[in-house]
Amino acid sequence: MLKAILKEAWISITAYKLRTFLTMLGIMIGVAAVVMMVSAGQAVQTYITKSFESIGSNLIVIGPAEIVSGGVRGGRGLPSVTVADITALKELKDVEATSFIMPAAVQAVYGSSNYGVSVRGTNPEFIVINNWEIEDGIMFTEKDVKAAKPYIVIGQTVVDELFGLQNPLGKTMRLKGKPFTVIGTLKEKGDGLMGDDQDNVILMPWTTVRQRLEGSERPQYTNIAFVKAVSEDKMERVSKRVEYMLRTRHRLKEGVKNDFTIRLMTEMVEKVRSVGFILSALLAVIASISLIVGSIGIMNMMLVSVTERTREIGTRKALGAPNNWIMLQFLAESILISFIGSFIGMIFGVIFSQIGGYILNYEVPISIWSVIVSVTVAVVVGIISGLMPALKAMRLNPIDALRYQ
Amino acid sequence: MTKTQPVIEVQHVCKTYFMEGGNSQSVLKDINFSVNSGEFVAIMGPSGSGKSTLMNILGCLDKPTSGTYILNGQDVSTKDDIALAKIRGQTIGFVFQNFNLMMKRTIADNVSLPLVYQNINERTRYKRAIEMLNRVNLKGYQSRLPSQISGGMQQRVAIARALINNPAIIFADEPTGNLDSKTSDEIMELFTTLNKQGITIVLVTHEDDVADYATRMIKISDGHKVYDGLRKEYSKEKDKPC
Repeated sequence: MLKAILKEAWISITAYKLRTFLTMLGIMIGVAAVVMMVSAGQAVQTYITKSFESIGSNLIVIGPAEIVSGGVRGGRGLPSVTVADITALKELKDVEATSFIMPAAVQAVYGSSNYGVSVRGTNPEFIVINNWEIEDGIMFTEKDVKAAKPYIVIGQTVVDELFGLQNPLGKTMRLKGKPFTVIGTLKEKGDGLMGDDQDNVILMPWTTVRQRLEGSERPQYTNIAFVKAVSEDKMERVSKRVEYMLRTRHRLKEGVKNDFTIRLMTEMVEKVRSVGFILSALLAVIASISLIVGSIGIMNMMLVSVTERTREIGTRKALGAPNNWIMLQFLAESILISFIGSFIGMIFGVIFSQIGGYILNYEVPISIWSVIVSVTVAVVVGIISGLMPALKAMRLNPIDALRYQ
Repeated sequence: MTKTQPVIEVQHVCKTYFMEGGNSQSVLKDINFSVNSGEFVAIMGPSGSGKSTLMNILGCLDKPTSGTYILNGQDVSTKDDIALAKIRGQTIGFVFQNFNLMMKRTIADNVSLPLVYQNINERTRYKRAIEMLNRVNLKGYQSRLPSQISGGMQQRVAIARALINNPAIIFADEPTGNLDSKTSDEIMELFTTLNKQGITIVLVTHEDDVADYATRMIKISDGHKVYDGLRKEYSKEKDKPC
């Protein structure tokens, strides 16, 4: 029976190809829009998540405490975590590595070229913790840190801007008029989360920053420090140990607030993921409006169809078609239209989102759930929009239907 | 079924339409008759006499307000819509004035349509459709569309469709109303041939020429049966409620 109903429905919808196609168009556009919008949302989510994960998801970030005055947050206070603190944290259980940044912004000069760069004074573990890689040459060592050697490792933007096609290794460049030797180059990282150029960077021993560059007023302190746990599941415990150790070292009495902040990268990733999910859902809801418009189109077409085919319905009933058969046939027509429309829309949605991703150089994942949900929604929409016309057809009196002109 | 066994038994059938405001209109008043298997009956009457209402009741498309209608041995006057649809599909064949063919479907599809509702497989349906088309002299037309054949041929297709479920009776409602006189004669000849093959036919018409093909005539006037007898013995003077 089902096969026969589907065949009858198929013949009916293919009898008026243009009208069926135009009706399908609404659903096609709706589903394509949902798939594209959700894919766009997921692309952003994936991009942000990957950016975080490239730093390392089992990372604990330590920064200055927040200033709160009269219940109002006033940004970050002065750095309170010292290099000695960070070195001590390395001895904690389940800690793989620790690192920190002493930043400085200077003008780098090589030959007749100069370029504004971001300098980061740190320790050798910095690139391990942040998952950065050396392209050419080597990273400075702990020995170099102790000796405050003027060795630098430069990012690809610095290479391009100052050295062009030359090999920078072994070359001497000047920062604040002082010479520094390039011992390594970093692999390209691309833009950061805020659109900043992560390759416009120079890494050097933190001791070198203190001694050779101007340094901060409180040179022993670090603006931001990193503690890498041995695994993601140990993050909570390690963060508690870090907090305990820092409070002990800073001699903070019970009841006194931390003079530092601890952030877990997993929490940040989770937050970003949830924001991305909300973004995707919001885009999907907006795109769903076109699905609703499409469903109204189907309902309209089916109502017209029932009116046009009133005599056909009467004839079918006279020839023995039960009422439920008539209802199911019209319902099957609207479901077929919405299903085929959504299937084509899904294909177009995937194709267009991939083309968009290719043009914008974003990785656009194909979201299976958005495909399943949009096709399911389209079929449900088909049922809902087809139900009223189908019931109308079912309830037609065969005598009146046969008399219909 | 022997030729004397009644296919239709109508006993005291009345039909009243109740309208808004409490008004009612009595369309059929105490109609009684029976039709035996193999008969060829013409139901006649002027416009508004109630003959179409009677036809609708006989075709199980409508129910009488009172009285009993026995079709092929079963009382159908109290059946529900589902049962009536089943009876229409299995016991009755319809031929309409406007042919009522599906214009986007092939001739074979049109002829086999009643079998779709009886869950008969596609191959059998097609085979039966070819047989019925041969029976109405439309061999080789199965793949054409109704728009590609003449009106007379379309009515033959409708007759083939009415025959496909081996009905106990065929109801034809003004079957020649949309045809020219020559084609009308051909269609009526076909009905006569089918009747001679044993098929019971009841047709509604207001044309005397068409009614002449029937052996028996029932005349309705103002909801009353005013004549029931042999067609050749009918004369207008005999009209009186009976």
